[in-house]
Amino acid sequence: MIPVIDEKECTGCGTCIEICPPGAITLADGKARIAGDLCEECGFCAPECPVEAIRIPFPIKGP
Amino acid sequence: MERYPHIFQPGTIGKLVTRNRIKYAATETNFPYGDGYVSDREVAYMEAQAKGGAGIVTTQGAYPDKKGEGKGFKGMMSINDDRFIPGLGRIADVIRANGALSSIQILHCGREGGIELDYCLMPSVVPQKLSYFKPPREITASEIKQAVKDHIDAARRAKQAGFDMIELSGIVGYLISTFISRYTNKRTDEYGGDLRARCRLMVEIIEGVKAEVGQMPVGIRLCGHELLNDRGGNSFEESVESFRIAQEAGADYLSVTIGWHESSQSVITRDVPMGHWLYIAEAVKKAVDVPVMMAFRQFLPHIPEKAIAGGQIDFVEMCRPMIADPEFPNKIRQGREKEIVPCIACNACFSRLYYHQPIMCSVRPNLGHEGEDGWGYYGFKPASKKKRIIIVGGGPAGLQCGEVAARKGHEVTLFEKNDRLGGNVLVASLVDPGAIELMRPIATLEELCRKAGVAIRLGVECDPAMVGREAPDALVVAVGPAMKGLGASTGVLTPQDVMVKDRKIGQRVAIIGGGGVGLGIAVYLLRHGEHEITIIDEAGKPGRDVNPFYFWQYMALMKKKKVNFMKRTRVTAIEDRLVKVLGPSGDIAVEADSIIMSVFYPEEEVWRRMASTAAKEVYFIGDAKKPRRIINAIHDGYRLGMVL
Repeated sequence: MIPVIDEKECTGCGTCIEICPPGAITLADGKARIAGDLCEECGFCAPECPVEAIRIPFPIKGP
Repeated sequence: MERYPHIFQPGTIGKLVTRNRIKYAATETNFPYGDGYVSDREVAYMEAQAKGGAGIVTTQGAYPDKKGEGKGFKGMMSINDDRFIPGLGRIADVIRANGALSSIQILHCGREGGIELDYCLMPSVVPQKLSYFKPPREITASEIKQAVKDHIDAARRAKQAGFDMIELSGIVGYLISTFISRYTNKRTDEYGGDLRARCRLMVEIIEGVKAEVGQMPVGIRLCGHELLNDRGGNSFEESVESFRIAQEAGADYLSVTIGWHESSQSVITRDVPMGHWLYIAEAVKKAVDVPVMMAFRQFLPHIPEKAIAGGQIDFVEMCRPMIADPEFPNKIRQGREKEIVPCIACNACFSRLYYHQPIMCSVRPNLGHEGEDGWGYYGFKPASKKKRIIIVGGGPAGLQCGEVAARKGHEVTLFEKNDRLGGNVLVASLVDPGAIELMRPIATLEELCRKAGVAIRLGVECDPAMVGREAPDALVVAVGPAMKGLGASTGVLTPQDVMVKDRKIGQRVAIIGGGGVGLGIAVYLLRHGEHEITIIDEAGKPGRDVNPFYFWQYMALMKKKKVNFMKRTRVTAIEDRLVKVLGPSGDIAVEADSIIMSVFYPEEEVWRRMASTAAKEVYFIGDAKKPRRIINAIHDGYRLGMVL
């Protein structure tokens, strides 16, 4: 699952950019942005975000 | 004649007879929903496993308790309530429909549980370092009784759901194992003390479950060797004895595992030779009478064949090899071994679990998409328009793309300038002794490409002009990365120079770039001689693209060999035996007899400029798109193939 970035929370600090294995994250207008075609869906970025602005959109509700 | 007569003989578990001696082992997937319900995705995955030909197919562990103390993974399935029975029943049904026996695992994650709580339950409070784990809380006597009851209730639901057998799990730090281990069990009540007392929880659970389900076989996974000698874990003899106690309590089969997640020793990585751990299964087998099984680095079928023939194990369990290829059993039975999509022990699957992601596979991009037609697990629909496609580059990206495109009916020609396929995997496979396994998927892709009708032209350097003359409908540029800037300076060596061309490397070495390639070069050099290595990296942390399973090994070696890391440091100039850098301590010059560049760039010169004149559709994949790892190359190739 490609992580989702909360742009309201993101401070553009660049921590996720440095951690992202395939280098799929860049800064655009001061906010982190994930390139879907490069993201390898590892999830490494989410726990590293100092302001918890990155979320894995895990499907919670079953049938 | 059967090539693997011992693997493909019937087996017996309790009163049940299996069609062969392969058991797909329990594997967490994170495919189920966060609330514990089985998803369509999980059912489709399990159906693929059942169709693959294994004799027994085990489900992932299901947590048995209401509070979620036993839940260790975000998408772990639950068996803590009757409302989950219909979903679990769907898994039992697809396994039965495909001729395998089903075993459902009941798993309380203990030390690794409480994933959505702020604590985990343990016999005693023994903290650990892994950040994924929750702070431990000591389980009370009444909570122990409840845990036993939870397992028994879960077993009843498993029977109602239609499973053939039940598996309990006491390994790696899960609840039962934390009681058995002297490392984590410091209790002074009847559940702590000598081994037999530490096994009491396990015994109560086995006996309770057996009494609940009657004739249904009940197996258990236990640790054959905890590899926790450095912190007071069980002795090997104690571990073997725990299997005997499980048998005495009524276990109908015993699965032998190795190591805890906290063990500071390699267990399942490529540096561990295949079949290495069988001696431990053999020790267990000598101590018990019920069937013994084991997984762990038995990726090539002759290894379990020999182990079963030699009486070391009765069944072989397969986890990662069947994540990579659920058809593994069918393929070895039908003499299609060359078509097996081989696990490379990269552990991408494993590491995904700890980051709340569904498991993923470097070599099988359609993992988790078995139920979606477009991903082609059961074959692709022919493309609506047949295209002539030229792929330039015979590394993992180009080969994977060609294989998928050809299976969809396209006419594919693949050019590789070298006389061997593999691209940069040829180099990566030399890093350390186990790395040669990275060539296995290349061999498979070559076989699958030929079978699908890809015309492979080795030793042909294809340039844009040549593509232009061929005028294909689509051009796929998979030529690998480019070197530019300082890396192209005179005297700067490439990974190929060092590892393939065997260029002489001096005493003092500067490696520019601390990613996976840079670390790989350092590992290679340190294996072959004594060097003083400095790794210059712009990032604050090296090896961001290296799987944690390998990263810690590499870093331990670097520390031992006193490799100097210059972090957040940029190279400003390269002169003769001198690398000028700018970093936290200002402008510095690093003296080096050999300077090696490990930082590469996307293909931007030749092909970017010219490609659009050569073909109508142009695509860049793998390192030509952006230098990354084998998982990215294979996934790029597969995903492009799907849409061509």
